[in-house]
Parts: sequence; structure tokens; C-alpha cells
Amino acid sequence: MNDSDPIVFVVDDDESVREAVKRLIASVGLRVETFGSTREFLDAKRPEAPACLVLDVRLPDTSGLELQSDLAAANVHIPIIFVTGHADVPMTVRAMKAGAVEFLTKPFRGQELLDAIQNAIAKDRVAWNERAQMAELRARYDSLTPREKEVLVLVASGLLNKQIGAELGASELTIKTHRGRVMQKMAADSLADLVRMAERINPSGSTNK
Amino acid sequence: MPFVWQSPLQTPLGLRSMFRDFVFSRLREWHTKRHDAMRAEKCGARRNRATRCSSIATTDRDSAQPPDRITSREREFAIRMASNPSARRLSSAIFRNGLAVALVAAALGLTFVLQSVVSTAGYLFFYIAVVASAWFGGKWPGALAVVLSVLAVEYYFMAPIHSFGMNRESLPIFVEFAVSALVVGWFSSWRRQAETELQYARDELQLRVEERTAELQQTNRRLLAEMAERKRAEEAYYEAQAELARVTRLSAMGALAASISHEVNQPLAAVVTNADACMMWLSSDPPNLEEARAAVDSIAQQGTRASEVVRHIRAMFTKATPERTMVQVNDLIREMGTLLEGAAVRNQVTLHTELGADLPATVGDRVQLQQVIVNLILNGIEAMSDVTGRPRLLLIRSTMQNPDEVLVAVRDSGVGIALKDEKRIFDAFFTTKAQGMGMGLSISHSIIEAHGGRLWASANSDYGATLQFTLPAEREAAS
Repeated sequence: MNDSDPIVFVVDDDESVREAVKRLIASVGLRVETFGSTREFLDAKRPEAPACLVLDVRLPDTSGLELQSDLAAANVHIPIIFVTGHADVPMTVRAMKAGAVEFLTKPFRGQELLDAIQNAIAKDRVAWNERAQMAELRARYDSLTPREKEVLVLVASGLLNKQIGAELGASELTIKTHRGRVMQKMAADSLADLVRMAERINPSGSTNK
Repeated sequence: MPFVWQSPLQTPLGLRSMFRDFVFSRLREWHTKRHDAMRAEKCGARRNRATRCSSIATTDRDSAQPPDRITSREREFAIRMASNPSARRLSSAIFRNGLAVALVAAALGLTFVLQSVVSTAGYLFFYIAVVASAWFGGKWPGALAVVLSVLAVEYYFMAPIHSFGMNRESLPIFVEFAVSALVVGWFSSWRRQAETELQYARDELQLRVEERTAELQQTNRRLLAEMAERKRAEEAYYEAQAELARVTRLSAMGALAASISHEVNQPLAAVVTNADACMMWLSSDPPNLEEARAAVDSIAQQGTRASEVVRHIRAMFTKATPERTMVQVNDLIREMGTLLEGAAVRNQVTLHTELGADLPATVGDRVQLQQVIVNLILNGIEAMSDVTGRPRLLLIRSTMQNPDEVLVAVRDSGVGIALKDEKRIFDAFFTTKAQGMGMGLSISHSIIEAHGGRLWASANSDYGATLQFTLPAEREAAS
């Protein structure tokens, strides 16, 4: 198992349930980490990998529902599968509205939980890949000089080198050099590729002109 | 003349009641008229004042306006007016003077008859006529009777007979008769007046009594209505209270059910999940027997845990007759502490036990003593539900109080007990909790007392309260 393998976090105050869930998840070869309270979960260092959270609603410190909204507020997007001893309709509605993947009532069948976990991880993997790509792009963009960033914006808006030179008060040759360096730094295969990247990053000022 | 003396006082009852009825009917009539007039004048200005006497109220009952109070002056006037109503004054005067004439005529006739039998008969019948006229007719008919009698006697019986002339012999007799008749008539009319006034006074008294009685009856009716209203309010209050008690009981039962279901559900969830995990490990290739065995082991453990929970609950609810067995309080504390650990964790309470070593056993009903300990622990946990800013700590301590008593103290860091409540918290239905029924401590108290121990509460020096009980130690068992 390496660091980018998917991981399942389990938060439940009942040790026996926690251990049983851990045993079940481990049986399908997934990484599992268990926590007795939301505090422990928040304090722990979470590896950078596609993940999901199996969360008990009824917890000693803050409830699972509170943790869900806290995570959303902190911009942590991790798919959540709720498990609870007794669910009522408002509780379920609240959890699902806030984006929970699944809401299981104890005792649940193992397959239900495993399906929900696979579902959640697949969902998170897409999001995770997206995030990773985005981070990569952002890093590449950040390596550009201010001048190169200006050139990138103008290129992406469809101007010719001559026009860009007129706009920035530089010679066409200079712009051509900048443009070549931008293509290289952004690892763009073609002009079209570069434009797509510029759109995804959507650097500030790209909308002017 | 005894007849004249006694007659006014002994007027036959029928006559008196006739007279009174007459006065009353006149009074009512007059009041009705007067009231109508007054009402027109006052236009309801005094509409809400106290009511009149019942006889008058009767006439007012159908009128829309409430009756006005009549003053005593008005009443007096009414009585006097009633005896001489202006409307009938003329016919009454003719009737009364006619009565005098008729009586004198009758006396004349009777005297003729009497004198034809006994020549020396006196003028008794004339006196009777005078008295009767003065009595029933009044002063002027009485005077008329006197005049007529004197004239009749002079004309028919004084020599010379059948003439108004007078000779020397008969003059003294005539004067005597005239004076006597005058005196008798005057006296009769005077007595009559006195009697009438007495009657007025009596009637007035009666009116007043009736008025007061009516007022009293009114007040009484109002009081009865008030009492009925109060009774209704009380009934409504009791109903509301019963409803509240019912709702409280239901919510307490609901909380209990939720707690029980949670306690049982956790091990069941673990069992099902472990079973599924075991299946997964067994069906992997190659099967991981070690993991499967661990899962099955956990299943057995959790099954036992669930059955323990059920057993404890059953024990708590079984209403068996108290058994007397050897009980180790430390065992009880440990068992109940384990049972209530979930409740403590959910309320963020830390349970601590300090169990004294080598405590002697006590004799008692195990289930009842469990119930006491559960009550005290839950009570402590609930007392801390609103505590913030300091640790929620529940300490259960067991020690030897003295050579023959075991002491169990449950100390919380909760809201504590007000000094005035230290005794009352053991009263049935006394509670400071919004959801409480006020039964827990009351039942615990009676259980401990039935075991020959004591249960008491005290406030801690810093915060929170300590509830502690003693139980008599059984020396032989300890050794």
C-alpha cells in the first residue's frame, strides 16, 4: 500500500463497533483508520489520498452532523457515510442535504457499508484527481514571471504576437520568446492545450479585453 | 268595658292577616307604579345598585332594568300610602261611613229587640257599633257613629220618646251616654291607630327582613356560583396536572426506551458487522482464518454484552418480593458503573470509583440495591448536564463508615442542592429537573431505610452534591 491508495476513516465512540467495521473494511483490502471521537479525527494528520468517512451520528463530544458542517465550513470535501443506532427523518434529511453519500441504520449489513464506501471512494477519487491536477497546474502557473503571466492571459484571449507586443509595448520577437517559455513552463503540447489550462486556472484579469 | 279594652289586641287572626294582605297588595301596586316612574326619571342611572326586597323584586323580575334600591323613607311612605290609597279614597270613605251607619242601625234594631224583652237594657249595642266603626272605619266614621248613636238614643229611648226634646230626668243619662260613647269611640280609634302603627312597624320590619333575606340569598347564590366556578377551575387544574404527569411519564419512558435500544443496538451492530467481516475473510483466496477467528470471537463477546444489558434491564424492572441475600456493594457499584458507562460518556461525564478494600458484605435485595445505585449515578449525571467550564466528574466511593456500617457516596460536580432542598429531595414528586418525575430519590430512600440504612444528601464545599447511604455490615460474611 502506498500513500495515494484510498483510505477509509471510521469515527465511532463504541470500540466494538469500531473494531468490527475496521475488520470488515480491511477484508476488502482498503486502508482504515479509526477514531473514538470527532476531536481525535480532526487532530489526526490525514494522508493525501482518495478517502471517505464512516461517521456515527451520536458521538460524545460534537455530533456527527456537527462535524459534517464543520468540515464543509473548513472546505474539507470528504464523502461521508453516516451510521446511527436510531435515525429519524429530520436527521436523515439534514445529513443527505448536506451531501452525505449514505445513511445507514445500525445494525447494517456489511455489503451495504462496503458498497457505500466503494461509491464514496470512487466519487472522491474523481474529485481527488481533479484537485491534484488543479494543484499541479496552479504550481506551474505560479512558476511564471509576472510578464509571462500577462502574456499567457493575452495569448489565451486569442491575440497575435504582434498585437500582444503592441499591447504590452514590446517587440514581437520578445513576446515570441516569452510565449515559448510559457508553453515550456506550463508543459503545454499545443496552443489549444495552453488555452484550456488558462481557462481552468482562470487567472485574475483573464476576463479583461 | 272589657270588650273595648281587649278587642283591638285580640282581633281575630283572619282579620289581621286579611289586613296585612291588603297592605301588602297595596304596597306592591304602589311600588310598581312608583318604580316605573322612578325608572323613567333616573333612566337606569342606578341600575346596578343592590336589589330590592323579594316582594318588590317579584314585580321587577320581568322588567329589563334591574330594580333600584328603595330607601327606608320611601318604604315608610309607601306603607302609609298603602293604608289610605288616594285612588280609592272616595269609595273607601263612603264604605267606611256607610259601615258606621249600618252598625248604628243594627245597634238600634238590636236595642229595640232587647228592650222589648228587658225594659232596663242599656245601650251596649251602640257602644259596640261605635267601637267597631272607630276600629274598622277610622276616626271620622267613629265620630259619625257617636253622633248617630247619640241622636238615635235621644230620639228613640230618652223621654220624651220619638222627639229630640229632653226632660230634666233623662238629661244626665243622655250626657252620660254621649260622653261614654265619645270616650269609647276615641279610645277605640286611638288604640286602632297604635295598633296600625305597630302593624306598620311590623310590616316594615318584615319588609326589611325580606329585603335582607333577598340580599343574603343573592350573595349566597353568588357565592355558590363562585364555588362552582372555583371547583371547575380546580378540576381543570387537576386535569392539566394529570396530563402533565402523563406526558412526563411518557417522555421519561421514551428516553428510557431510547437508552435501552442504544445499549442493545451497539453490540448487535458489532455482531452483524463482525459476521459480515468474517464471511469476507473466509471467502478471500486464500481464506484468512486468523482474521475470521478474531471476528467470530468478537461476535461471541458482543452477544454476551447484549444479553448482559438485557439481563440488567430485566433485573431492574422485575417487581420481585425483596430477597435477602449476601451482597457485596463493590460488586454492585462495578456492575452498575459498567451498565451506565454509555450514559456517562454521552453526557461527557467521567465515572470514577474508589472502592474500599475488604469491605464486609451486607444482607439485602440485590435488585433493589442496584436500583438505588443506578438512581444515584443517573441523578449525578443529570445534575451535571448543564455544567460547563469544569470537569464533569462523578466519583463513587465505598468505605467503612464504622465497624458495622458500609458507606457508599456518589459525588458529582453538578449544580448542587440548595440548602432548603436537602430534606425535600427525598419527597415523592419533588424534582428540580424539567423531565424528572421526582420518584428516583424517593424510592431509593425507602429502599435504603428498608435495609436498615440511611440515605442523605449534602452540598459539596466547592460545587455539586454528594448523595450517600449506609448499609449495616454482616460481620460473619466478611471473615
